[in-house]
Amino acid sequence: MKAETRSESIWGTWPGVARLRLQGTTLFASGLSAFLAILIGLPVAMVILMSLRTGFPGEVVPFTLENFAEVYLTQRTYEVLLNTVLFAVSSVAVTLVIAVPLVWILMRTDVPFKKTIYVLLTVGILIPVFLRTIAWILLLSPRIGLLNKWLQELFSLSGPPFNLYSLTGMAFVQGISFVPGAFFMLAAAYRSMDPSLEEAAYTSGVGKLKTFLRINIPITLPAIAAVMVYLFMTAVAVFEVPAIIGLPSRILVLSSLIYTSTTPSTGLPNYGVAGAYGAIMLVVGLTLALLYVRVVKQGKKYTVITGRGYRPREIALGRWKWAALAFVFFYLSIEVFVPFIVLLWASLLPYLQLPSAEALASLSFKHYIEIPTRVGLQPFINTAILMVAVPTVTMILSVLVSWVVIRTQVSFRGFLDTLAFIPHAVPGILMAVGLAYLGLAYRDYFPLYGTIFIIILAHTINWIAYGTRTTNSVMIQVHRELEEAGRVSGASAPRVLGKIVLPLIAAGVLNSWIWIGMLSYREVTMSLTLLTRGNVVVSTVVWQFWGSGWVPQVSALGVILILFAAIVVGTLRFALSRLGEVGGTS
Amino acid sequence: MKRFSLLLMASLWGLWSMGGSAYAAASKLDELIAGAKKEGVIEFYGPSTLGPEGAQALIAGFNKRHGLNVKLNYSPSGNMTRDTAKVVGLSASGQPPEWDIMVVTDAHHGSLWLRKLHKPFDYASVGVAKDRTEYDNGTISVANQFALPAYNKKILPANDVPKKWEDLLDPKWKGKLGVINSTHHWGRLAAGPWGEEKTIDFVKKLSAQQPILTRAGEMAQRLILGEVLVSATLQDSQLHEAKESGAPLVFAEQVQPVISPEYHVGVLKNAPHPNVGHLFVAYMASADVQSIWEKYTGHTSAYVPGTTAYKFAQGKQVVYMKQDQAAKVDKISRQIGKILGFD
Repeated sequence: MKAETRSESIWGTWPGVARLRLQGTTLFASGLSAFLAILIGLPVAMVILMSLRTGFPGEVVPFTLENFAEVYLTQRTYEVLLNTVLFAVSSVAVTLVIAVPLVWILMRTDVPFKKTIYVLLTVGILIPVFLRTIAWILLLSPRIGLLNKWLQELFSLSGPPFNLYSLTGMAFVQGISFVPGAFFMLAAAYRSMDPSLEEAAYTSGVGKLKTFLRINIPITLPAIAAVMVYLFMTAVAVFEVPAIIGLPSRILVLSSLIYTSTTPSTGLPNYGVAGAYGAIMLVVGLTLALLYVRVVKQGKKYTVITGRGYRPREIALGRWKWAALAFVFFYLSIEVFVPFIVLLWASLLPYLQLPSAEALASLSFKHYIEIPTRVGLQPFINTAILMVAVPTVTMILSVLVSWVVIRTQVSFRGFLDTLAFIPHAVPGILMAVGLAYLGLAYRDYFPLYGTIFIIILAHTINWIAYGTRTTNSVMIQVHRELEEAGRVSGASAPRVLGKIVLPLIAAGVLNSWIWIGMLSYREVTMSLTLLTRGNVVVSTVVWQFWGSGWVPQVSALGVILILFAAIVVGTLRFALSRLGEVGGTS
Repeated sequence: MKRFSLLLMASLWGLWSMGGSAYAAASKLDELIAGAKKEGVIEFYGPSTLGPEGAQALIAGFNKRHGLNVKLNYSPSGNMTRDTAKVVGLSASGQPPEWDIMVVTDAHHGSLWLRKLHKPFDYASVGVAKDRTEYDNGTISVANQFALPAYNKKILPANDVPKKWEDLLDPKWKGKLGVINSTHHWGRLAAGPWGEEKTIDFVKKLSAQQPILTRAGEMAQRLILGEVLVSATLQDSQLHEAKESGAPLVFAEQVQPVISPEYHVGVLKNAPHPNVGHLFVAYMASADVQSIWEKYTGHTSAYVPGTTAYKFAQGKQVVYMKQDQAAKVDKISRQIGKILGFD
């Protein structure tokens, strides 16, 4: 073994071998790029292909622009586009109004219970959006909303103060659901913000609120702008809120039109029209992705960051501590507590009712007991497969991409990085429609339609952008010297990656693994678009239950889903923190 | 003497053919049973109101009758229109259907029949009465639904309950009505007593009332909560479920004509398990199934005297759909879907 190492070392110093290694790396990077290009490009190509065809997938028909004419010569399309923009802008506005103060309070002040608040924010992300939307209907529906009823009685109002069935209502629910994501994205910027300007303001006697508005917000504006673009991209693509609140009241956005084109309430699916709608979504998504990359680059240029090792001082809130805590509690109430309580209440009732003595007397665990009979085992098995396979495949690909991008000198590494980011610009629903088309039209070459593997593929493609962003940032923190030492001692590139880089980035990779697993667990749009009898997962069961009007059963399943997610994440995070400590000491 | 001889010969012929057809039926049945034994499983699509327990009760009865041990995989319908379209889409793409048999309404089976997506079978050859078969031996009729305006009796005052269809167009209902995506309900009226012009005009006016649009199950929940005061139509399936859970949903029973979608069952073209499929379809025509179906879905056949559906239909103007109306119902239902804003 020693002799082998020595011989490798001797060979490693030979310039010819070094050249071969570089060629090997280039070859590997080329293969990876080609694989990713096919993986990401095929569904996108299918969307373009189906937009140029009429009829069903697999039917041999000539190319046509008929679908584009049908879509873009109709006034409704432009109304829907306007709705989409308004919905996305308003959702982002709602998010920022809550997320920016929240991140400042938690990152820069001495507000108490920070750890608990972080945990609750994570739980907030795990509550599926459609379950939260159902809870909001029970609270803010103009006719039956509890909050509306209470406010009407309290202030003797003639009508309900809130109407959830509006673009504003949709944006409110969607915006609230974006807050935890925006929080974690902004937290890094606030954490690394130079506190000297802030402290100078306090020394000059400027108040906390004024400092927050005049100093903190302008300094972090590039980060906020990047988050805005990112959330806007996401808001254009989301489906659950537009489906549950928008569709019944005919408030259509682009994603709901794509969904109803492929799974219509009446008539037959029209993939061509879905493709034509998808084309504009694709253009918007790619443009926004480009904008996002530019904003992030600009942000890096102008953000004021302190030197290494500087730890910003926490601002003592004094008597404002309780006001800050009240704000956080208000947010957590609308994000976590209220939806969960509403679901819990609904899950214990024989049929959905507003609180009353009669309803209270009828509470039981009947729907929980019935879950195994109603759902069966297969959706749970499929969900477990998703939760393991999706993060594993995504993280393997992400590590490989990041290794090429961060650690090699391959000339086209920038292209590979951009390629891995593209899926974020392609809305999930479009990706799923493209894959469904591919599976139906070219089943002989792509025999995945109707299996759980097609959902694994859709999820993997969808989260590869997230995975690579994480692995890029983790890998960049590992100093090159360690790898170079490995290479000098004659270890091959895969060996260096496996023995040196991977153990060092294990905690970060595992963290993303858990996160992607949980995102896959709660995802419904892509799973629903690709749903067949053979690939039912728990989230699509919940959706079907809702469609069948089984609200108490949906709620019982929802409560179990949330508790399960909270337990899994809690346990894994605990285990991970131990692993992080081990990694840190070694 | 000659007359007697003729009579004797005719009787002998009758006896021989009866015996022959009984033999043929038995042999056909045996073939199906043998085939079913080999296939061993059935992919069953049916109404969500049947529930997994109802589906298992059906297969238990089926297995007992034929001495089989077939496994039934039940797919509850979330949206019959969408799933019918899925069958059409899969077939156009050359894919086999996900299910062997589908229990959907006659309108949905009409859409399949128009596209030749059934696997017909001579059900009479295995003892099913001819008047129960439809769509050129593609399906058999199982039970009747009834669809009428529905409301929550605890919320809607008695004097506000609609008494005729036109009452739904009263401006007082603006923003308070619901319409479900079963647009074939209106298609049946168009193909039947109302005609196309009157129906389209009615639906346009209904759409102007800005109703909440959703699927039947979800609509039932909205009625229970009082979010929607009257659903323009709702099937008795949802009423049966509501009754089971104690929810106060009822029909506006004075409204006529009553729409009656029929649950039909048929084997799909290229079904992976056709023998067990046909055998199961034949079983669905039996009296045993009527009681199971009623227990779990609340429905029975309006053509079988003495059943709940039969009694309900008495003295009412009921709109049943005929095979020759399938094309019209299919076309108008889609047109109405667009008018209402479903697609």
